[in-house]
Amino acid sequence: MSQAQEERDAELDLLLRRAGITIPPERYAGVLNGYRDLQAALPLLRSARTAAAEPAGTFVLDTVTRERTP
Amino acid sequence: MSDMPLHALPIAEAGRRLRAGSLTSVALTRHHLDRIAALDPVLHSFVLVTEARAMADAARADAELAQGTDRGPMHGIPYALKDIYDTAGIRTTCHSKLLAENVPQQDSVVARKLAEGGGVLLGKLATHEFALGGPSFDLPFPPARNPWNLENVTGGSSSGSGAAVAAGLVRMAMGSDTGGSIRGPAAYCGLVGLKPTYGLVSRRGVFPLSYTLDHCGPLAASVEDAAITTQLIAGYDPNDPASVDRPVPDLRAGLEKGVAGLRIGLPRNLYRNAAELTPATSVALERLAESLAAQGAIVEEVTLPDYDLFSACGRVLMIAEAYAIHEADLRSRPLDYGALFLARVALGATLSAADYIQAQRLRRELSEAVNRVALQRHDLLLTAMALGPAPRFDEYPPDRAGPMNIQSIPFNVTGNPALSMPVGFSEDGLPLSAQLVARPFEEALLLRAGRAVEKITEGWGVARTPPMALEAA
Repeated sequence: MSQAQEERDAELDLLLRRAGITIPPERYAGVLNGYRDLQAALPLLRSARTAAAEPAGTFVLDTVTRERTP
Repeated sequence: MSDMPLHALPIAEAGRRLRAGSLTSVALTRHHLDRIAALDPVLHSFVLVTEARAMADAARADAELAQGTDRGPMHGIPYALKDIYDTAGIRTTCHSKLLAENVPQQDSVVARKLAEGGGVLLGKLATHEFALGGPSFDLPFPPARNPWNLENVTGGSSSGSGAAVAAGLVRMAMGSDTGGSIRGPAAYCGLVGLKPTYGLVSRRGVFPLSYTLDHCGPLAASVEDAAITTQLIAGYDPNDPASVDRPVPDLRAGLEKGVAGLRIGLPRNLYRNAAELTPATSVALERLAESLAAQGAIVEEVTLPDYDLFSACGRVLMIAEAYAIHEADLRSRPLDYGALFLARVALGATLSAADYIQAQRLRRELSEAVNRVALQRHDLLLTAMALGPAPRFDEYPPDRAGPMNIQSIPFNVTGNPALSMPVGFSEDGLPLSAQLVARPFEEALLLRAGRAVEKITEGWGVARTPPMALEAA
């Protein structure tokens, strides 16, 4: 295992501890497996985006007020 | 249809017989309950059978029809609910130890609409824990098994819904779909599975997995059954923040219009190079595209963003939102969760605010690519659903995610309506599938195309009944 991988794996312990979540030892390998897989996917979120790519839809007035806008 | 067993009757035909007086809801319900008693000990699709309520509801439905009160197409028709739908006075567990004793005081909106429409609730159906997890053996109930082969999974998370409808235990069952939980079991079990547009069907009273990805919809034995069900459950609900206030069109009126003149985009780039794509699935998709073209559709290649982008985006949104929902219980009682759910949702603690926001930004781009590009030029998309048949149980490790060969999550990310359709069988006799996608709120067109696919594949001899279900008839 590379040093970078070891460091990333160590971050899992840190993040779970900070979140107050205790993973039982017999279940830890499964969580670590998922963590590595998720970490591998995260760079895909960070390719260049345009200014139009913002999640403004979350705050459309229609959604908040339950009223139709013209 | 005169010699059809009762459980194989389409909803519309059962309704005709109920109204003509040649069938009673009591007899139909008793038939389904008997099938559940005969087959479910090995299928494990139900976590609770509500026999007394079902028989009482059926008797009431018969009495109402006799008195001239007709509640519509679902009047007197048996159905079942995934066990994440709240049902007043009836245990709703989410297939989890955490809610093993949970008895809601109110119906979910979907349960209420089905009851008010005269439907007969047969019971609550197995799910993956809290609609995520996986096929698990460390939960209060065993996982549902695939009627086409008991050694194979049903897909999830609407696992019991898939098994129950495929085995003819019930004609229609409600599922929920956050990353493919309606369409996956439909694909693996040879059914029609409709994920409606985000906002069409109220999620009020359905235990959430992911606020911005969750959808409610039916798994059904036919497109018409799915249309009848969706017609009843759709509509604005001011108590669901995602609900959209717009009229619901007639979903059955145009079912037989065919596909002539429709432009159908074929985004082969989504699935063509996927390692999990089986030759049989690839052949079935191409054959279907050719058949639709032969019926007058204009089928053209279209390119969508890479599947990995949809997958990464949807996965981060789902894990982050599920973690927000389960955060307190993950801290205080992690051992009460099954290993698979814990392994997937605890990862929410490792995601940053920036991860979530970047996923939402990417979501905007992906939605634009689907809706403002691909579906601007095309009326529909035809793409892969499951890339192959249902995996076997022994392919799933007990503590981590197992095989993942479905391509449903792109349309949870974008919110488009999507329909899983059976299109043939693998060499091992397991169902294969395809997926149709439409513009938001164009369920009528989507179902119309689904009906055309249904007719085409009937011509291929695509059976709808697993051998074990036939034997039990």
